[in-house]
Amino acid sequence: MSPIWTILLIVIPLLGALLVAFDREEGAYQSAMRTMLFTLIPGLFMLYQFDYTMGSEYQGAASINWISDLGLKLSIGTDAIALLLIALTVLLGPIVVAASKTAITEDRRKYYAWLLVLQSAMVGVFAARDLMLFYICFEFTLLPMFVLIRCYGSTNRVAASTKFFLYTFTGSMMTLAGLMYVVYFVAQETGIWTLDIAMITSIAPRMPLDHQAWVLFAMLAGFAVKVPLFPVHTWLPLAHTEAPTAGSVILAGVLLKLGTYGLLRFAIPITPAAFIEYAPFIATLSVIGIIYAGLICWVQEDIKKLVAYSSVSHLGFCVLGLAALNVSGLSGSVLYMLSHGLSTGGLFLMIGFMYERYHTRDMRQVGGLASKMPVWSFFMVFFAMASVGLPGLNGFPSEVLCLIAAFQSDAAWTAAHEAGAWGTTLGPWFAVFAGTGMVIAAMYLLYMVGKICFGAYREPEGHHAHEVLPTDLSRREIWTLIPLAVGCLVFGLRPVYLLDAVSDPINDTVIAAYENQHHELHIETNEEHAMTEHSTSEQHP
Amino acid sequence: MDSILSTSLAQLAFPEAVPTITLAHYLFVSAAMFVMGLIGFMTRKNMIIMFLCTELMFQGAGLALIAFGRHHLGADGQTFVIFVLCVAAAEAAMALALVVLLFRHRESLSSQSWKELNG
Amino acid sequence: MINTTLLSSMLALAPDAHAGGAHAPATSEVASGPSWILLIVALPMVTTILCGIYAMIGNKSKLPAWTTVVGAGIAFLCTVAMYLSFDGTPYTVHAFDWIQVHFSSEGGDKSMIANFSFYIDTLTIYWMLFVTGLATLIALYASEYMSHDIGTSYCRFFGAFGLFVFSMACLVMGDNLLMLYLGWEGVGLCSYLLIGYFYKKPEAVAAAKKAFIVNRIGDLGLALGVYLTFVHFGSLEYAVLFNDPTLLGYVESAKVGDFSAIPAMAQWIPLLFMIGAFGKSAQFPLYVWLPDAMEGPTPVSALIHAATMVTAGVYLIARTYPMFLASEHALPIVAWIGTITALLAATIGMAQFDIKRIMAYSTVSQLGYMFAGLGVLTPTGGAYHVLTHAFFKALLFLCCGAVMHGFAGQLDLRKLSGLRQVKGWGIVSLGMFIGCINLAGVPFTAGYFSKDTILAEAFVTPGYAMIGWILLITAGLTAYYTFRVFFRVFMGPVEYHPGDELHDHDHDDHGEANHHDAGQHGDHHADHFHPHAPGWAINTVLVVLTVCSIFASGLYIVGGNKDAHTKHYADTMVSASTASYHSNYGSHAFEYYEKDPEHYPVPGIGPRGTIEQPLEMPLVGGDPHKMMYYISGVIGVIGIALAWFLHLFGRTNAAECKMDPIARMFGPIPKLAENKWYVDEIYWAILVTPLRIGSHILHWIDKLFVDGIVNVFGFLPRLLAWILRPSQSGVLQGYAVSMAGGIALLLLTVFVIILQGGAS
Repeated sequence: MSPIWTILLIVIPLLGALLVAFDREEGAYQSAMRTMLFTLIPGLFMLYQFDYTMGSEYQGAASINWISDLGLKLSIGTDAIALLLIALTVLLGPIVVAASKTAITEDRRKYYAWLLVLQSAMVGVFAARDLMLFYICFEFTLLPMFVLIRCYGSTNRVAASTKFFLYTFTGSMMTLAGLMYVVYFVAQETGIWTLDIAMITSIAPRMPLDHQAWVLFAMLAGFAVKVPLFPVHTWLPLAHTEAPTAGSVILAGVLLKLGTYGLLRFAIPITPAAFIEYAPFIATLSVIGIIYAGLICWVQEDIKKLVAYSSVSHLGFCVLGLAALNVSGLSGSVLYMLSHGLSTGGLFLMIGFMYERYHTRDMRQVGGLASKMPVWSFFMVFFAMASVGLPGLNGFPSEVLCLIAAFQSDAAWTAAHEAGAWGTTLGPWFAVFAGTGMVIAAMYLLYMVGKICFGAYREPEGHHAHEVLPTDLSRREIWTLIPLAVGCLVFGLRPVYLLDAVSDPINDTVIAAYENQHHELHIETNEEHAMTEHSTSEQHP
Repeated sequence: MDSILSTSLAQLAFPEAVPTITLAHYLFVSAAMFVMGLIGFMTRKNMIIMFLCTELMFQGAGLALIAFGRHHLGADGQTFVIFVLCVAAAEAAMALALVVLLFRHRESLSSQSWKELNG
Repeated sequence: MINTTLLSSMLALAPDAHAGGAHAPATSEVASGPSWILLIVALPMVTTILCGIYAMIGNKSKLPAWTTVVGAGIAFLCTVAMYLSFDGTPYTVHAFDWIQVHFSSEGGDKSMIANFSFYIDTLTIYWMLFVTGLATLIALYASEYMSHDIGTSYCRFFGAFGLFVFSMACLVMGDNLLMLYLGWEGVGLCSYLLIGYFYKKPEAVAAAKKAFIVNRIGDLGLALGVYLTFVHFGSLEYAVLFNDPTLLGYVESAKVGDFSAIPAMAQWIPLLFMIGAFGKSAQFPLYVWLPDAMEGPTPVSALIHAATMVTAGVYLIARTYPMFLASEHALPIVAWIGTITALLAATIGMAQFDIKRIMAYSTVSQLGYMFAGLGVLTPTGGAYHVLTHAFFKALLFLCCGAVMHGFAGQLDLRKLSGLRQVKGWGIVSLGMFIGCINLAGVPFTAGYFSKDTILAEAFVTPGYAMIGWILLITAGLTAYYTFRVFFRVFMGPVEYHPGDELHDHDHDDHGEANHHDAGQHGDHHADHFHPHAPGWAINTVLVVLTVCSIFASGLYIVGGNKDAHTKHYADTMVSASTASYHSNYGSHAFEYYEKDPEHYPVPGIGPRGTIEQPLEMPLVGGDPHKMMYYISGVIGVIGIALAWFLHLFGRTNAAECKMDPIARMFGPIPKLAENKWYVDEIYWAILVTPLRIGSHILHWIDKLFVDGIVNVFGFLPRLLAWILRPSQSGVLQGYAVSMAGGIALLLLTVFVIILQGGAS
């Protein structure tokens, strides 16, 4: 695979942003849409040229020296996991632009320019093979999102954007500190300053366990806030609720996945021993999150807040799969990253379309829309069912795999089955408690569908028809939803393609984690030995 | 070659009665000027007086610079003083203009009438 | 458009990339069947898609109904063809790969495989025959029944109908437990959509929600059981699972009563499956959704909530019977829960006045019999009762539906009487009669034979006599409440009052308007109301089902296989599958018997006995199988006689009968039973309300505490600033003073340090 496609995916939106920023106000939507559609071409070439038989190889790798003394490079490359996440990002691009056409009527240039910049930064995160590039892109996603919420959000947008920015930024500062320590450690070990991820992940597991634990918690500070994991989730409902539709879709679709992607790509390979040690802790938090956020969803009146809390609940499954640290868990987790974006993104789009017409998100004021908006209701039920985890739709395979993983990941059973990659971190109880999330998801989503779609028709007082939009969905809106709906079906019926594609990198990650765990122990004893020798020689000169 | 300071007018006028003026004398005068300026700045409220007091502090500092320059037989001190004088001149021009502006707003020269920057 | 291209390119690419992947399916030992069998699954899906298209193009005819009838009909013919071509060896049919995960490690490669493929054995065929057959008939019935909703709603109904048949086919035919789960949730979804068909009615929406959520609780159990199965046995595919030596070993130990040899985890699996079965098949304590589900259109009640979907739990237990055998407590629990449900639902059914609700409770009760049958080691009896019940209960529901359709939604048995004599209602009355005698267990009907099988086995199997007696009493109650309906609604003096339901043709467009003038119309109709008798479609279906119900008893007589030690048709079909309790080897049972006749398990010895039990437990001094014919026949007739005396004898109008004063003698009990023993209210009080309050509390905790901590962190810098703020007075001289003071302090410090340094 040629690196040019990845580079194009990063550069085209940036150029498009410039174009939009200096274009006329009226042409902003058209220019942004053209740019987003144009990015599909390199995206397709990436998918087409990728060699799926070598899914764990970083293909399309390219590298430029930046500051060679510090080992800073700008290097990119994608394996199968990154490829699929980039594909998701690229797919969501035109969708969010299309969803903004009638929703954003003022200051459109700024809006679309920042949206395009965000697109570029997100692709950059997934394509980065260098710690510095990763981190820059990771942080740079904050700024456009901040502007989108701050300038285009609803009533409480100032508080929401501030909290979003400060919360995630504080967390990622700690992550930066942790990663810098890792870089320092690697430099100590090898004598070379490098930020190359491959290099770091091969050396860093030699850190002693307590150092790993600190690094892991530093990384969790950033990534867990991003996921978001209970109890550092409170920025998300606020940000989701206040963000414009496009912002919510991107937030749910891609930005939250940066957290789980970070855990998968950095926490597990860099600190395997600590991750195994603390996996029950992480899993406990995610199980609490599943149940806790699910129950909170059930008593929401604000439909967007309900879906926002459901993200917290759903992402709990994703992290549970990671914490199980076995092949099924990581497969389920990666699948969840991909599929959650489709169904929850779809739900946010539905809510956005409703909000444009009724200007309220309160389910007490609006409801029974099935009689007025049958097409809208059809899609609403569809995405709600996808979110519930109905088999045949996208949520199911990932949920199954995450729960099976929690079951499998039990020391006793792993010993009984003699297969190394079954994991030893969790146990059946995690699966049982997480499984109640299935019931709770049905409760709150059906509660939502029952109120908003079914029952007698209710509309807010003083409601009048939208000037531009028809009562039911317009053609543009339906075409915005169809890719997502098709995606839900494809992911639900043929997850085997995705699972096969990510099978190699996931198997490699799991095996490396368990191997490096022992590696660490081995080195640690050596180091301790060396350190005691050193100290004794100091004390007795 | 003795410098101007060591053969001052005073020495010429009273060659026997006046003892030799040392660095300490100059520093004393300089410190006195500075402290007078400082106290004036801190106690007076009239902005023009305050401004004059800052000038006094400048001159005190300048005197110390020249005295040290002479003591170490270098030209650095004098160079600095020339800079300080230039800056002080520019500052005087700006500051007096500002004072006039402020006066026009409040009809008062008191510095107490401007405290918008409190916390 | 480009997006779809992207997806299709993904589809096109991925298989190429993995063409070389040598993950041979583990099912290679089971032969692959002909691919036309996929039609059975595909056709209902096609009809659903077509109904969607009709809805989009705004079709206003009965086309969706005919499409569904034809689709389901061809599926039925394919099932028949599958049955006729079946040679006794199970086989699988592969549609496409679904979920596959490959674990590569030093310990050897393992895979989790759940493909979209189908497993065909006698149990599958047995179930599919009546599922597709009844689906065809009921679709035909619904074409007329739903005709007042022609338009988008009609398409919606038949779309969901097709989806249901598809899901049910996946459930029954799937070749692995995840496929079963797919179908399981799929039928749940269709049930949700169809109960909530009249989505403007709050009760319908609430009932739909309740059904889905209660089922979902069961589904959680099933899902956990499936996961545990995979983790324990390493496979989800029936072909591998039920030939797994570990499982066979467990069953062998269970047969000699040695449960200590079976790991606790394996014994947990059936307990979890059971929860799923209780949810789907409406068993205590998860039965509460089924009576409410009657809010849906009657064809739906007949097909989904009486004949097919609710038997999925029975199918699940029958399918995974070896696992149930391998658990010490699973089957006794199943038996007892079934018995309790049968009795409880029968008592509630006795006191209801809504005939559809009575039928709903009788369904719950009969499902209880099926579970009891499974529990007392006669999966054959359970499965046979499923079949007979499917026919006669569908018939009963469809007759009720015809009444409801004809009398403007009237279902109260106090407002209908003597319909037998109304012109055009003969077929309905006949159908109702045949259904009732089956349900009541009148001798020589199909329901009589199937119920007897279960009852007799309850006495045969050691330790279950108590269950047998309770079920016998329940049989009497069943006969009573069944004929209570028949004698009051179809016999006696002619009298009828229409219900308040209207057949507005503009139903879709004017929801509120419709509701508004409902009262007026009701009054208006009361005076000169003409019930409209069922049309040809409904009558045809009723006739066919009546005939089927009558001839279902024949299956008890014919179809036995001497070589296979089976007594009748249902026995032959069930015993050759994994559901056979004396053999979990499927069709290999007979080979096994030939190879090792001495160790062939003796029928009648359950997994709970090690000692040599007598083959037949004597009941009232005779062979239970023979004695039961007399006992249950007599009890059935007593129940009917009681119903005749109390509800028909000397009755002069619809509302009053001899039962009323007798009911008053029982004090509050009839009222309690009418209000379903307040089980719903108890659930609401002890489960839903506390959970809801807890959720509100959590929401406040989230707002105040979890988010509060974050806000405290945000507040700390502000607090610090607040403390330091007064120092910024804004007065110029203040700054000057602090500056001078600061410098002075600094200088002082420096001097002190220098002086001290000098001193030392």
